[in-house]
Amino acid sequence: MHEVFAATPARLRAARLVSAAGLVALAIALATMPAFASDYTLLVCFKIFKYAALAQAWNLLAGYGGLVSLGSAAFIGIGAYTTAKLTIATGVPLIPAMALGGVTAAIFAALVSPALFRLRGLYFVIATLALASAAQIWMVNWNGLGGASGLYLTVSAPTTRGVYYMSLVIMAAATVLVAGVLRTRLGISLRAVRDNEDAAQEMGLWPFRTKLWAFGLSAAVMGVVGGLQAARLSVIEPYGSFSLQWTIDIVNIAIIGGLGTVSGPLVGAVFVVWLGERLADYPELHVAITGALLILVIRFAPYGLWGSLLRLKGETIWSRLRRRS
Amino acid sequence: MSAYPEPTGPLLETAGLSKHYGGVRAVDELDLEIRTGETLGVIGPNGAGKSTLIGLLSGAIRPSAGVIRFEGEDVTGLPSHRRARLGIGRTHQIPQPFGRMSVLDNLMLGRLYSAGSGYREARRESLGILERTGLAPFAGTLAGELTLLRLKRLELARALALRPRLLLLDEIGAGLVESELAELIDLIKGLRSEVDSILVVEHVIDLIRECSDRVVVLDWGKMLIDGEPEEVLADAKVTAVYLGTGTTQALAPARAAEAASEPAKPLLAARGVTAAYGSFRALHDVSLHVYPGEIVTLLGANGAGKTTTARVLSGMLAPTGGEIVFKGRRIDGLRPHSIVRLGVAHCMEGRRIFSDLTAEENLTLAGRTARSAAERDARLTAVYDLFPVLKKRRGSPGANLSGGQQQMLALGRALMAGPELVIFDEISLGLAPVVVDSLYEALAELNAHGVAMLVIEQNVERGLALADRAYVLEKGVVALSGRPDEIRGDPRLRALYVGEAKGES
Repeated sequence: MHEVFAATPARLRAARLVSAAGLVALAIALATMPAFASDYTLLVCFKIFKYAALAQAWNLLAGYGGLVSLGSAAFIGIGAYTTAKLTIATGVPLIPAMALGGVTAAIFAALVSPALFRLRGLYFVIATLALASAAQIWMVNWNGLGGASGLYLTVSAPTTRGVYYMSLVIMAAATVLVAGVLRTRLGISLRAVRDNEDAAQEMGLWPFRTKLWAFGLSAAVMGVVGGLQAARLSVIEPYGSFSLQWTIDIVNIAIIGGLGTVSGPLVGAVFVVWLGERLADYPELHVAITGALLILVIRFAPYGLWGSLLRLKGETIWSRLRRRS
Repeated sequence: MSAYPEPTGPLLETAGLSKHYGGVRAVDELDLEIRTGETLGVIGPNGAGKSTLIGLLSGAIRPSAGVIRFEGEDVTGLPSHRRARLGIGRTHQIPQPFGRMSVLDNLMLGRLYSAGSGYREARRESLGILERTGLAPFAGTLAGELTLLRLKRLELARALALRPRLLLLDEIGAGLVESELAELIDLIKGLRSEVDSILVVEHVIDLIRECSDRVVVLDWGKMLIDGEPEEVLADAKVTAVYLGTGTTQALAPARAAEAASEPAKPLLAARGVTAAYGSFRALHDVSLHVYPGEIVTLLGANGAGKTTTARVLSGMLAPTGGEIVFKGRRIDGLRPHSIVRLGVAHCMEGRRIFSDLTAEENLTLAGRTARSAAERDARLTAVYDLFPVLKKRRGSPGANLSGGQQQMLALGRALMAGPELVIFDEISLGLAPVVVDSLYEALAELNAHGVAMLVIEQNVERGLALADRAYVLEKGVVALSGRPDEIRGDPRLRALYVGEAKGES
């Protein structure tokens, strides 16, 4: 977010051109990947994209809005169940059903926000955790949606290529959404509410509405990912769909990657999923290493691995430019 | 004053406005009127309810009773964002920046929401406001990295971004040297053409005198007096509760004789000290010494390096060069707690009270250098003797003390370390003149017990009245030093102080 004023327009243009070219190359590589990559690689990519989209959504809420929610699992679960029930009961095709999963999750977010937004800081964090936990317990005990045994989807599960492309699109959409929001009034409002809610209100902004937008948008992305997960698994049950593990993984990825940057969650997802695959045979070691890494990042690189690198780079370019001028 | 349009009916009025905190009546049945076109000055002792009043008017604080009308409409129940959109803008005495946003983005919000500008327009207009308030060079800086004085400037800029009709200013003049103050006064006067009315809460009397059409004095949440600035400032009641004498003259003659026989060996000596924040060099070459039992004042414009010097001497900031010797022992490079143990206490700028701890807990915590409980208790008694009000409020949490009491607590905390030398950094900032009088009397009394002091003070006259010797810093270098009478007569003092500050902002 540092604006480098001394950077000349020519240099900025060159930098933009290089990064645009890089993005195009990356897009082509990702789009053509299924043509030559193995199913295993594609499924690892699916995992990365899925988590990147989730972390991106959480980043909007927590990194930019300062609303540290531990309720992610509730929105993922709601998206999964909405998608499952709609396809089973009404025969709606998968993709519209996933979209409606996102909508339902956003509506749920809007319904609980009047109560949640009364709380600030740690109280908000705990309330969201309690909310997710309550949602899971409800789903286990309520037989309307299959209770503890869950639901079996009737639509045929998408192919490996199918989930690859769907997750790629969701990740790209989530990233464009967050990057876009940051350029609007909402982006500035969110950061202002994060830094000082009362002062923001005295500038004429109604914090409730700002928080509601962020909460709703992030819930929608999580709901859509939940729907995709349901389709991929073909069978869903509350212990998996509403699992606290989702919430923890998302926080890990966003923090290790770097909160409050658009690229941080993407890099974090690549890194954490890659690490998980390398250590797939040693699950205890995986948990221990991720935990240790998280502590080290929080202590020594508070802007995340990628975020800290960006800052470092930004500062050196900045000081170099200054020395020349 | 005749150059301005004649003030007309009220833009805002309050009736029976009250705010109670438990049994404390911060604002008590206040009937106040802010007329269209006027600048209203509000003064009063610390704890008189001035900041509470601003909070009530902006909507940040809900009143316990009473009505607020803006242009005849009852706005008492409106939340702060609705009032901001009606055109009520405020600054905060303790700056409340959006710390992780750029200075420019801090202003954008007001433009986008209350002034109703588009994004590009808002950006351009915000840059214009930064230009006017002298913050343009910092447009891209994160607000959290600004110094206190620039944060206060940002408060003003941000309030202006609302395109306010009523501007509420809460102590934006604190800590400024004369030339900066003159600029601020010009700025406020210049605002009269675009802002309908201004309410100024301020301890800087010059600003009140220059800017206001009418002055109101608050005391214990009630209106003490309301009238023309000159008449109010000359009022005997106001002098008694608020203005005080404004000087510390009684001290100087008594000390002059003592100072004549300077001992040869300094208690503290700094030679060629340099210091830097990152790549910014704050101190280039500072040499100074303090003899046992002496009061030395450190003067200089904002940004000259006074606070940095204090931080280096107390170990808060490691010097990059030079040496510092205390009682014959090198102390540069030592950690702050070791330096305190050796006998150098530091009363930092901005009070920094532990707000959840009681007054007494704040004090005992600082008495850890005492070798025994008895020694600590003796120090505590000494502090209570110096500031009896602290003894009375020993059980109150730091947050509940008034500004003046908090500053006394900060002083007391420094003394609890049993120091031979105390560094006082801007202890008068944001305090009513009458409170500053009593603080300076306490310093003199303390010195009579043999404690040496290095006093950093914005107010030249006050600083010199107390001192045995003084140093004047300019751009991180000692530019002038000597006895108060020598310095006071030196034309370079004024030139340095006023000229340097101009380049600064």
